Amino acid sequence: MFEWMVWTPPTALVFAGLALLLVVMTVWGHFSPPVARRGFLRIETDRGDRLYIGLIGAAVVLVGWMAVTDLSMWLALGCAVLVVVVIGIWG
Amino acid sequence: MTRPDPRRRANRAWLLVLPVVVSVAFTAVIPLMTVVNFSVQDVFSPTDRVFVGLDWFYEAVRRPENREAFVRTLLFSAQVLLVEIPLGVAIAVAMPRRGVWVSVALVLVALPLLIPWNVVGTIWQIFARPDIGLGGWTVANLLGVDYNYTLDSTDAWITILVMDVWHWTPLVALLAYAGLRSIPQPYFQAAQIDGASAWATFRHIQLPRLRGVLTIAILLRFMDSFMIYTEPFVVTGGGPGNATTFLSILLSKMAVGQFDVGPAGAFSLIYFLVVQILCYVFFTALTRSGR
Repeated sequence: MFEWMVWTPPTALVFAGLALLLVVMTVWGHFSPPVARRGFLRIETDRGDRLYIGLIGAAVVLVGWMAVTDLSMWLALGCAVLVVVVIGIWG
Repeated sequence: MTRPDPRRRANRAWLLVLPVVVSVAFTAVIPLMTVVNFSVQDVFSPTDRVFVGLDWFYEAVRRPENREAFVRTLLFSAQVLLVEIPLGVAIAVAMPRRGVWVSVALVLVALPLLIPWNVVGTIWQIFARPDIGLGGWTVANLLGVDYNYTLDSTDAWITILVMDVWHWTPLVALLAYAGLRSIPQPYFQAAQIDGASAWATFRHIQLPRLRGVLTIAILLRFMDSFMIYTEPFVVTGGGPGNATTFLSILLSKMAVGQFDVGPAGAFSLIYFLVVQILCYVFFTALTRSGR
């Protein structure tokens, strides 16, 4: 049935991770509702907003990395995770 | 009568949202996931495909044609904003505030907005031709300019830019006009009493009060011009050479023309990322200016 979607194990893993992230955020939000506040981004965000901004920022890091350097993408992934964490906590 | 538990009512809302979730999943999420899958493979057929990792992404960000198209599109958007925003505000300021001419002016200004993109393209394709088009003929023969948008890349660029200005400045003008109309009269009376000049009134009363609508106008025009496709496709087809090949034209050539779905997938995901960022900035600016 899903043959036309030409799945690969890595992309399946990424989407499973995203789905899991959404489930975790939903459950977390149910038990402790998010609170909006201001961080260094200087706009009012709750944790869902910061996750979204963090993921977009991570994507920018990954794409930018490919555009400017030949260094390993694992390093880029490390930086991207760092971006998500920093924005998630202090953003 | 006892009212139902609010929490249960909130749960019932989920049921009402379900049709939207299903239709969005079908029309957007699943196709997008497929694009992601395509972007990491060289696909010949659903059964005959090779995993290539991030190769297409490297190609998408490093291929000179793609970079040039990106810069070209950014440059076009910047020029669109530089011309359309001041011009739109000027038109809005000059438009009548009361009397019968209000409706006449509104209809005249709004007219270009009612014309579909591809028709705008067709109109300008003929209008700008130096042999049979009124505009092109006037420029080439009456003004004596060596103008031919099918041969000269600068001419083609200017033609597309002028066409976009003609098509979309009315949107800026109407937004700015709505913003101007919402300024209470006492401000103008106070300015008159103080003996403020027309420029001072504009600079210190009208312009600050236009901030909200101008934010909307700038972001709308930026996003729209960044995704421009139909008009240049109809008028120049991206030419001459690559002079008017904007991102969307390049992408459709790749995906539909050459059927390179892998590279086109990677390219469109990066394009999508840029548009996504713009949309978020748009959304944040809008919701914040409402507060």
